[in-house]
Amino acid sequence: MKITLTMLAGLLLLNPVGHVAAAADFYAGKTIEVVVPFKEGGGTDIWARVMAPYLQKHIAGNPKVIIRNVPGGESIHGVNQYMARAKADGLNLIATSATQAFHVFLGVKAVQYDFAKLKPLLVNPVGGAVYVAPSTAVKTAADLLKPKEKLVFAGMSPTSLDLVALLAFDVLGMDVKGVLGYEGRGPARLAFERGESNIDQQTTPAYSSTVAPLVKAGKAIPVFSFGQMNDAGELVRDQAFPDLPDVDEAYAILHKKKPAGAAWEAYKAFNAAAFAVQKILWVKQEAPSESVKAVLEAVDRMQKDADFLQKAEKALGGYPALRGDKLEAAIQKTYNLAPEARTYVLSLLEKKYNTVVK
Amino acid sequence: MWDSAGIALGKFLDPFHLAMLLFGVLEGVCVGLLPGMGGVASVAILLPFIYNLDPHTAMAVMVGALAVVHTSDTITAVLIGTPSSSASATTVLDGHPMARQGQAARALSAAFLSSLIGGFIGVLALTLSIPIARPLVLTFGSPELFMLCLLGLGFAAFLSGEAPLKGIVSAALGMLVGAVGVAPSVAHYRFTFGQLYLMDSLPLVCVALGIFGVAEVVDLLAGGGKIAERMDLGKGWLQGMKDVVENKWMLVRGSLIGVWTGILPGIGASAGSWMSYGHAVVVSKERDRFGKGDVRGIIAPEAANNAVEAGDLIPTLLFSVPGGPPSAILMGVLIVNGIQPGPRMITDHMDLLFTIIWSFALANILGAGICLFLCKPLAALTSIRFAYLAPAFLITMIFGAYQSTKHLGDLSVMIGLGLLGWGMKRMGWPRPPFLIAFVLSNPTERYLWISVNRYEWAWLMRPGVLVIMGLLVASLIYWALTRKREAQGKAEAAAAPPAWRFTPKAGFTLGMFLLLAAATVEALRFPFYAGLLPLTVAIPGTILAAWQLVLDLRNPEEKKGGLDLGTSAEAASREGTRRAFRYFAVILGYYALMCTVGFRPATLVFLVGFLRFLAGAGWLRTGIYTAIVFGVLQLLEYSLAVEMPEGFWSVGF
Repeated sequence: MKITLTMLAGLLLLNPVGHVAAAADFYAGKTIEVVVPFKEGGGTDIWARVMAPYLQKHIAGNPKVIIRNVPGGESIHGVNQYMARAKADGLNLIATSATQAFHVFLGVKAVQYDFAKLKPLLVNPVGGAVYVAPSTAVKTAADLLKPKEKLVFAGMSPTSLDLVALLAFDVLGMDVKGVLGYEGRGPARLAFERGESNIDQQTTPAYSSTVAPLVKAGKAIPVFSFGQMNDAGELVRDQAFPDLPDVDEAYAILHKKKPAGAAWEAYKAFNAAAFAVQKILWVKQEAPSESVKAVLEAVDRMQKDADFLQKAEKALGGYPALRGDKLEAAIQKTYNLAPEARTYVLSLLEKKYNTVVK
Repeated sequence: MWDSAGIALGKFLDPFHLAMLLFGVLEGVCVGLLPGMGGVASVAILLPFIYNLDPHTAMAVMVGALAVVHTSDTITAVLIGTPSSSASATTVLDGHPMARQGQAARALSAAFLSSLIGGFIGVLALTLSIPIARPLVLTFGSPELFMLCLLGLGFAAFLSGEAPLKGIVSAALGMLVGAVGVAPSVAHYRFTFGQLYLMDSLPLVCVALGIFGVAEVVDLLAGGGKIAERMDLGKGWLQGMKDVVENKWMLVRGSLIGVWTGILPGIGASAGSWMSYGHAVVVSKERDRFGKGDVRGIIAPEAANNAVEAGDLIPTLLFSVPGGPPSAILMGVLIVNGIQPGPRMITDHMDLLFTIIWSFALANILGAGICLFLCKPLAALTSIRFAYLAPAFLITMIFGAYQSTKHLGDLSVMIGLGLLGWGMKRMGWPRPPFLIAFVLSNPTERYLWISVNRYEWAWLMRPGVLVIMGLLVASLIYWALTRKREAQGKAEAAAAPPAWRFTPKAGFTLGMFLLLAAATVEALRFPFYAGLLPLTVAIPGTILAAWQLVLDLRNPEEKKGGLDLGTSAEAASREGTRRAFRYFAVILGYYALMCTVGFRPATLVFLVGFLRFLAGAGWLRTGIYTAIVFGVLQLLEYSLAVEMPEGFWSVGF
């Protein structure tokens, strides 16, 4: 049948020619399956698909790396299924985003996964910044408390990644009306462009392609970045936005002192999961050590691969791909949210955004 | 801008490119043929194949598949009344009756030619609007989008045929089913009853396949015999082409409506084809044939749904906001290749933009051309005893529906709604309003919520809102006025003395009433903002259902049906109903078996059992048929990375 031949030809022609596999390579002749608990075309899906060919190229033995999308159940189902069914043989990996971490933080009952049972292999930070419309007459972070018109933020669900923005506004003491319910960051950004909202946030890959042109045309004014949590537990400036103050600095500008208190602790906790370690590729803890070693070594090689760096720069916003083992302790710490932070956020959600998390 | 067009054309005419485009088109046509696999599935499936291609070639492949997504899905819509993607559900309304009357070839050729020209007009409109695209899209804010959704819902009224009351209740139910899952307004889960599967709304493909597909297949089986009870000789595919030429302005208008719905993010492809169909009904002077085999009911939506995919490219490529799920995947491919869609596309990647445009145009021609060749052999299928065709169709539908979220829940949804859809068809309840309302439920609620939240009530005075509201009101009035003749017939019927009796019809209406009442009760427990839409819809729905119940009890002989081909006399008989229930039992049995032992063993048992005992085939035929089906399934699994449903105790083969 014509179709089979064409497709077979496609498969053969289009697969990269790998290095010759050494006899002892764990992954020689094998296939790695990466579960992506999101639909095709989403941010995590794109991240996994950018990484996959490079993993294939650099993991000793050149295993085939395929992506399997398991969307559903608010992106919880795929992870639940992975925890319950995936074998710990080093051939079954999963890619998650901060969304899954937030579900754990907020105590969503449907969560049946436990990140302590997973080992991180590859981590990608992401960055983000907040910008306003010229109509607000806000030129820098110093003006945020006295805008010319009421600040209106177009957001998705209050339990989505937008929660970090809401927490930032809360910490800074800004008066922002949240109009929530937009379908995604894209539609929310469109709302900004047509004047439905006048303050918005975007994360790195999207920011450079969709917001930077607006900034250049004078239609958007960046005011602060979310900042990145470093190993010492401090918030520092985001490398992608070197000229923007982070939330820490913005607070100091506005209130003339350093931030402290429940709102600040909550912000830092959620920020760490949402940015410093947003995208993580995991394997089960009990996976064979040779498989873990092989993937980690591949990450090292990827970091030196000029082709990958160039591609990642364009597709992912220029953050380095990091070895999971070096960040394992930090990740587990991040993912163990302090109960006070949880209480604070849940009460904020309930009082300000009419949301009760189930 | 135009020199980029020239450069792109040069790159585009490269033989390797064209070959890859053809590959995409072929894949799109073949996969789009399978019920449930149209739309996203056929594009998603290509992802593993394009890893190493450069962006231009990758786009050629993907656009090839994307452009024909709504061309080949017409085939099952016409032949067995089963839409392959939700947008082709509109074609079912008139395409399938035509097939039943032996005019399958005419219906198919009209559809394909409309798709071709519609896609072409779409691409043309797309190209011409690039310079003004940005301001155009930005003029439509949430209030205007809400009004457009309302317009779409209003069209549901036009598709109720002679039973507007049932149409409204049907739409109410559709909106409530669409509300299953998380509310757009507050993060509250509605009607999920603790099921994780339901937290993410019901998949559109499963709903469309269930309400139209399964219902239709069972109905055809219950009627016995073939799809086409009589072959209309001489009214073949040439006639279909002539029909398109005769209705060229409807074609153009339908395409423009399609492009428009595509350009606006957030409305969706299916809404585009429904609105196009609705417009066809409103502007036509003779409406009686709509829903019974009017070729205009194919031309308008088919032109629209190809044009929608063209229009979708605008928000996707110029705004980085995917117009629909297939475009989301396209966008993903671009991003993976380091190309960020957005305003920079025009400045930095104009040539790629044009590659996409040329690919789309050519793919439309190729896709429609291939399908046109298949018209005659496909039409011949309608003369085969349906019991022979049914098992293959059912298996592919189950398989296709499962690809939605790869969860057994997909199948429960499809079969459950199949039961509802069959009941609706039998009892003369129109199904199109249900589907339109289902599709528009979330967007309507979302945009209303955002509008009120953002602007309080000032948004009602916006010019765009007033214009669309005017359009809606004008259409409704015009449509109502031109229905005078039918109203007279009704008055006579109402004057007949009431004969109170409880019939199966009334029983079904009672069921609908109870369903709506239960939804009302459940919705009363939601927090205020989450319950607002459900209650606004459920309370009137329950009241109207009660009214319909009274009418049904009062006039049991009332034969007025909805804009849906009624059941054939054979299928509507007592024997036919019994057969229908038997077939449902068989399908449920198949499903239960699948849940326990897995897809392959269950399919084997089902296939052999069905062919032998229900279709009366001999062992030889059964054997060959089974071998072919399993061969095709194997092929699909190998080449397309699709997944088969697993059971609890999967027998491993």
